[in-house]
Amino acid sequence: MQKIAPITKLALTIFVTIWSIVLQSLPALTALIVCQLILLAIAKVGSSVYKGIASLFAFAAILAGMQYAINSDLLLAAITASKMIAMTLVFFILLATTRMQDLSAALVLQCHIPYEYAFMLTAALRFIPDFLAESKAIQEAQACRGYSPQGNVLQRFFSYMAVIKPLVLKAVTKSETMALSLELRGFGSRKTRSFKNNVTLALQDYAMLLSMILLTSYLVMQIY
Amino acid sequence: MPAITLQNFSYAYNHPKKVLDNITLSIETGSFSVILGPSGAGKTTLCLAVAGAVPHYFGGSSAGKVYVTGIHTKESSMQQLSLTVGTVLQDYETQLVTMTVEEEVAFSLENMGIAPQEITHRVEEVLDKVGLTGYEKQAVTDLSGGQKQRLVLASVLATNPKILVLDEPTSALDPEGTHSLYKLLSDLNKEHGITILVVEHDIATVLPYADQFILLENGQLIFNGTPEKVLSYMAAKQIFTEAIPPLWQLKLMIEELTARQFASWHTEEEAIAQLSKVLEEEADKNA
Amino acid sequence: MLELKNVYFSYKAQSHDIHDVSLRINPGEFLAIVGRNGSGKTTLTRLMMTLKKPTKGELFFQGNSLATATPARMAHHIGYVFQNPDRQIFHDTVAEEVAYGPKQIGCTSEQIKTFVSQALEVTGLSPLASAYPLSLSKGQKQRLTIASALAMQPKILILDEPTSGQDARERAQLLQLLLKLHQQGTTILLVTHDMEFLSSCAQRAIVMKKGQKVFDGTVTELFHDTNQLADWGLIEPAALKISRQLAAFQVSQTTSISELGDQVANRLRRNDDHAKNSTHH
Repeated sequence: MQKIAPITKLALTIFVTIWSIVLQSLPALTALIVCQLILLAIAKVGSSVYKGIASLFAFAAILAGMQYAINSDLLLAAITASKMIAMTLVFFILLATTRMQDLSAALVLQCHIPYEYAFMLTAALRFIPDFLAESKAIQEAQACRGYSPQGNVLQRFFSYMAVIKPLVLKAVTKSETMALSLELRGFGSRKTRSFKNNVTLALQDYAMLLSMILLTSYLVMQIY
Repeated sequence: MPAITLQNFSYAYNHPKKVLDNITLSIETGSFSVILGPSGAGKTTLCLAVAGAVPHYFGGSSAGKVYVTGIHTKESSMQQLSLTVGTVLQDYETQLVTMTVEEEVAFSLENMGIAPQEITHRVEEVLDKVGLTGYEKQAVTDLSGGQKQRLVLASVLATNPKILVLDEPTSALDPEGTHSLYKLLSDLNKEHGITILVVEHDIATVLPYADQFILLENGQLIFNGTPEKVLSYMAAKQIFTEAIPPLWQLKLMIEELTARQFASWHTEEEAIAQLSKVLEEEADKNA
Repeated sequence: MLELKNVYFSYKAQSHDIHDVSLRINPGEFLAIVGRNGSGKTTLTRLMMTLKKPTKGELFFQGNSLATATPARMAHHIGYVFQNPDRQIFHDTVAEEVAYGPKQIGCTSEQIKTFVSQALEVTGLSPLASAYPLSLSKGQKQRLTIASALAMQPKILILDEPTSGQDARERAQLLQLLLKLHQQGTTILLVTHDMEFLSSCAQRAIVMKKGQKVFDGTVTELFHDTNQLADWGLIEPAALKISRQLAAFQVSQTTSISELGDQVANRLRRNDDHAKNSTHH
């Protein structure tokens, strides 16, 4: 999977999403899920990805349970849950097997998205863990000053300000620092930029793309 | 030619509050210089002026000139200057923008438009320089504070800058981390001739390596010169005396009490050697 | 006052692990926890603040178990001063910022008023009571966080690496403040790398290494064995290192620069006088 070009995997993500929407039978959706799990197994992804998938299944099961409770249609509940799993799994495949820098290289070189935008996408992903850690640190700091949100929605909202204000401020300073540091590292001249890794399409990419298009056309024709 | 020259340089982020006030200063190529001074003295701004972020990034109003390896910074661009000056900001963690160690170093080189094969080679070389070989595939978020610092250093060293500017690089490090960082900077300085400019609160930690101290207060250059001269000046004029390291407090105290003069002390070992010598001479005299 | 009994803590990252630590903090102590980054110093203080719960073992405050305590409820007993003031400052004035804690823990408005003004007074921030907190200097922001903690009338004050990133002047002011608070009866616990700072204020030291407590004793005892200090990643204060090496010249061990300076100057002067006398004869 890691050898497949990022753009192909991006296409795969889009196609699988389409298939998940189009397919209405439980066996077909199950097959789609199984295929994706096989892809993940081939890609030899880390254990953290499987943990994420496990929680995805758990979440889908809860969702199905809730739906069953509402309209007591077991099949419909199972189909909805499978659709969700099938759609989300493909993002796991994309993110677990593609390096962020390659994804942005593909977006720039092949989709002709300006580098700044592609970079922002990858940088945002890079800073999500930092942001969560910061939010936790602020909550802890305020907890040590007696912060514990309780009461009605409005009261809670006001007490959350103790966390939100410093967090927003921190995010602003952080993004300013990042912008400055990017300038300091010579970022921003598209003319001279190079990409370390090769993201061009190989034979297997064309094969995959072609089969995905054929499969989609077949599915769409089946319906109409 | 000096690596860095400031000629009557003044700067204000918001006019008229001057953060740097008429500074004239020259830093020789290959020197290891340390900027000292209380918070709010303008130390960070001076670093940013050398990197060209002041005034290119921050705007504001400036007067006078800053030259970096002969380039007039105001007439150059930050991108051009980034080839000459490598900067490690105070909040260095935010300087790391990619997922893995090797990507981070490659990022700097990609910005310059270096060919892919060359990038692989340079990444390897520079990670070795900072002692991060073997960490290539490691996620940036999994690194320790000291390792992150080294990675930032690697990412700015990758472009082969002639000058390295570091703003309080050791505030998150433990004593061993601090020592090994300064050892590394000193090696880069001595072996590769890179001019080093660093802001540091704890003078004791840079005393063994520095050859120039620059003392700022309220945006003004109070004094600059060899560490010996600056520390003696601080003591004589009673300026920012809290910052005089214990080693020099001792030296100045004994010199004052006994009217003797010692050679310069950079390390405790030098102090011990010189004190042992005079104490032994005295003991001999009495014998 | 605060007691840890065979406390264990483990987390995904091993550097946060704590392995079988027992210790007791007595009222009125000035205690420092030292060790390398990742040795578990901060994890230990976070356990005390109940920000983390031990995986094994128990903590007690004034004889009561902390098993069900929360940081918000501990705030009244322990003031925790974090390294980064920007993670907690969110009011428009210094006084409001300091009043937040006492308000949260349910003090009356009379009490809040008294506590805030006392806290501002002792930290020297009274003249800045109506200033905008984010416009303060680094050192002032730190004193603001100390004032915020003090306003809740804690019995113990924990400070996490308070000297890092502070300039020498701020550091000297902090030293004076901590000595004053200690004198007024506050128990102080310091997490630090700064051995010069520690040797000028703390009485007792605890050394952490790889999650274990490897030393617990007086500061004098701490500096007794140089080889051990290196093993723990600690740096001897300059005065101690020099005085130890000058033992052959009847210089006695000290961590104080002025004491060492006096001793050496006396040796040299006495000898000078002696030399002068002998030439007179």
